Amino acid sequence: MEVEVDEKELKAAGAEPLTDGRHGLRIHGWEIESRKRSILKSSTLELWEKKLETYHMPEMVFGDSCLALKHVKSGFTIHFNAFDALVGWKKEALPPVEVPAAAQWKFRSKPSQQIILDYDYTFTTPYCGSETVKFDADKLEGGEISKDTCNLHWEDCNEKIDVVALASKEPILFYDEVVLYEDELADSGVSLLTVKVRVMPSCWFLLLRFWIFLQLRVDGALMRLRDTRMHCAFNDNASPTILREICWREATFQALSAKGYPSEDAAYNDPSIISQRLPVIMHKTQKLKVPDNV
Amino acid sequence: MSDLDRQIEQLKKCEPLKESEVKALCLKAMEILVEESNVQRVDAPVTICGDIHGQFYDMKELFKVGGDCPKTNYLFLGDFVDRGFYSVETFLLLLALKVRYPDRITLIRGNHESRQITQVYGFYDECLRKYGSVNVWRYCTDIFDYLSLSALIENKIFSVHGGLSPAISTLDQIRTIDRKQEVPHDGAMCDLLWSDPEDIVDGWGLSPRGAGFLFGGSVVSSFNHANNIDYICRAHQLVMEGYKWMFNNQIVTVWSAPNYCYRCGNVAAILELDENLNKQFRVFDAAPQESRGTPAKKPAPDYFL
Repeated sequence: MEVEVDEKELKAAGAEPLTDGRHGLRIHGWEIESRKRSILKSSTLELWEKKLETYHMPEMVFGDSCLALKHVKSGFTIHFNAFDALVGWKKEALPPVEVPAAAQWKFRSKPSQQIILDYDYTFTTPYCGSETVKFDADKLEGGEISKDTCNLHWEDCNEKIDVVALASKEPILFYDEVVLYEDELADSGVSLLTVKVRVMPSCWFLLLRFWIFLQLRVDGALMRLRDTRMHCAFNDNASPTILREICWREATFQALSAKGYPSEDAAYNDPSIISQRLPVIMHKTQKLKVPDNV
Repeated sequence: MSDLDRQIEQLKKCEPLKESEVKALCLKAMEILVEESNVQRVDAPVTICGDIHGQFYDMKELFKVGGDCPKTNYLFLGDFVDRGFYSVETFLLLLALKVRYPDRITLIRGNHESRQITQVYGFYDECLRKYGSVNVWRYCTDIFDYLSLSALIENKIFSVHGGLSPAISTLDQIRTIDRKQEVPHDGAMCDLLWSDPEDIVDGWGLSPRGAGFLFGGSVVSSFNHANNIDYICRAHQLVMEGYKWMFNNQIVTVWSAPNYCYRCGNVAAILELDENLNKQFRVFDAAPQESRGTPAKKPAPDYFL
């Protein structure tokens, strides 16, 4: 969505909007661009199924949408796209969450040739972004993904993203939210992968969020949240360092009500409200230093 | 002009009816729907429409492309409500047309025409927001129980929201279902509203998800053969191109909600059948933003953490 930003504010921050209908801005050596497109056509979807070696895809794959943050001098780019996220889903290959009604069917009178499809239909992914160097933006078209991933690696660290600084109301020069894929879990809930970004005069910050809310007919529901946050402070004198915090949370209604939380609550639909109630099952902080020349 | 004609005009402008008017309309609709068969007979020519999901202004595009009711004879395959912003106006307009022209529009039930599903996917909240009480939701969901489960066009084309059921091999078996109830969690009635055709399954498949069955090409072949029908027309699944044939033209999915959820960018389609059952798909786009009455939403930047 286009957000009106004061041109003076952009100028004062040393930023300029991207041109040629591109949505984003240049600031302190970074080019930050979001692209929002339609869901994939059936033919492209079939192509992806072949590449991913699967018969199952989320109902809505925004395969041509992406968020890319490019460090212009080094050519280093962090980007977020549905294809790489689905590669992650395929690799992790969680066993399916059993919906009790489906389990019951298995014991019902069985028609001949009945098969049960076993795959992770929630499309849960460990995806936390893609990195490339000399990334050519055109290659994103049609889901084609650049393979020349660099040797750069994220190392574990003790630093934390400075949430207090991020809470300060610096003007937001650029903001967008891009949906990468979404599935309504056959009207049993939602599985959603989105990335949000905001760029301020002093830094950029983004949140990649995988969220499922799956109604289970006996246990209430399963909620699974996998957040990746990235933060990069602008510094014109040194090559940038990116901090990344990965946090996975998960719980069922049953577990939450055992802890005394109300089980009937509209808030359970909203990950930003509910997240604090969900126990953390994995958390790590990492950093990556973008070299001057890759 | 009768009250009903006035209400139709009002609904066409996307203005909801008063609660008392909704109640009266639903009572009249009930009298008509209760007489319909679980396999409602429909004559050609007819225009078949898939999911609408409360996208009122896109349904107006549909009527622009397909022609107005009663001039055009319509069959809607369910999922009138949920997800879009105007489920109330969408469903009430279709229902008012049904009461006014009962032989020129047929409405069958989709899996969203259910108390349980509408509480999760928007229709319940919309009624509460627009009327300040859930009475209108109650009247409408009571009417859902009376909607037919399927239609049969000229004895040749079987139409249903979702698909087939392992408990059903003949149309007569559908005719014996007692449909006047909330959509059950399993069994034939549930399957008709929830099932999906699936390429990789030959016979019957169970999705690990908790709804309906998956059925393959051989299931469709034997059903069509046993019931002497040419093909099945169903809705229920989003198709980017608006419609999709499967299993050598034995089943077709028709999807009528363009730019689904206001962001998928898909086109929609309706299927026109002439008096000889010749087919023509009419593909259409979402209504232009400026005709929607509401300005495009520009969300304020969000200081998310």
